[in-house]
Amino acid sequence: MSDPHNTTPTADDPHGVRKDLDGTGLLLVVFVAVLGLALANVGISMKMGPTKYTLVVQMAIATVQAGLVAYYFMHLRHGDKVVILTALSSLFWMGILFVLFMADYLTRFWVVG
Amino acid sequence: MANAHASPVLKHHFEDLGQQHACERLGMWMFLATEILFFGGLFAAYTIYRMLYPHEFEIASSFMDRKIATVNTVFLITSSLTMTLAIRCAKLGDRAGLIRNLILTVALGTAFMVMKGFEYAHEFHENLAPGKLFRAEYAKATESVAKLSPAAAAEYFKADAASAHPAHAHWAAELALKNKAGADEVVDSGKVQMFLCFYFVMTGIHGIHIIVGLGCILWLVYEAATGGIPPENYSTVEVVSLYWHLVDAIWLFLMPLLYLAGAGMGH
Repeated sequence: MSDPHNTTPTADDPHGVRKDLDGTGLLLVVFVAVLGLALANVGISMKMGPTKYTLVVQMAIATVQAGLVAYYFMHLRHGDKVVILTALSSLFWMGILFVLFMADYLTRFWVVG
Repeated sequence: MANAHASPVLKHHFEDLGQQHACERLGMWMFLATEILFFGGLFAAYTIYRMLYPHEFEIASSFMDRKIATVNTVFLITSSLTMTLAIRCAKLGDRAGLIRNLILTVALGTAFMVMKGFEYAHEFHENLAPGKLFRAEYAKATESVAKLSPAAAAEYFKADAASAHPAHAHWAAELALKNKAGADEVVDSGKVQMFLCFYFVMTGIHGIHIIVGLGCILWLVYEAATGGIPPENYSTVEVVSLYWHLVDAIWLFLMPLLYLAGAGMGH
């Protein structure tokens, strides 16, 4: 977590913008991981076929991929508290959307009494 | 502290560059939150319909072109890497590297859209689009085998597919054959079209986002080429990259939901 005001100027970086510079090695590792997971998702789906667990596995892989993209490529790892809060709030609101939708559609066929 | 190193990039209403960058990032993230909710509505609707018609959604998904989708996934993930490298170059003051990475990102995004164009063209050529086209193609295949036994119908479609100019699209033959085997319609063609509606709307809206992103990145190329992105203005590249990565992340969910739902069904 970084303080946005805490820039440390140096001779070759007078505005302190290199404080959170990404290493190319790390970016390449994340790239290979996200790409590998994408290809794994295709391979596993082809092998499993449509079973009741396929969607769960696919969504788990996609979530890990999106997490890596958000944390490393979208710089949430250097994010201010308020940025992380904003990112999480979108998931929170989407959670409400899904919960209310499901509470309706999943219970429509229930027999009461 | 940073005021001691004042920059023309610093807007007068900010205390220092750190505060300005933080505000720019926050503004973009707030916009992205609304984008996530926008796509969230589509994902929620898809979830309900897939839950109601799982069989039709899996069969319809098996008609999609997984090869193109996989290649497109590679394009988008690679473009996310080049976009992030562009931020690194911007911070280091490497203008040539910045422009090179931005152009690579544009090239990969354009390649994605070109492939998507080929995919849509093929689908429309095969009449695999909800509405009149779908109904006519499906009705033609059904009528051709109406008086045949399921085994004879299978032979008919096999011979048709092997001919130089097949009379029936592969998907229509397969759907007609599946419904020929059962007494009632085993696969509801209306629900297959519902999947196709989701497919075209979700990939279409995603494609529009890609085009908007490409426009923004081209603007960055112009700014970088004309000296508008000194190291202290790297956040201009960063906010565009946030949008680009979100579009990439959304594709990572669209890919399994639309293309892999029916993977491994033998097509």
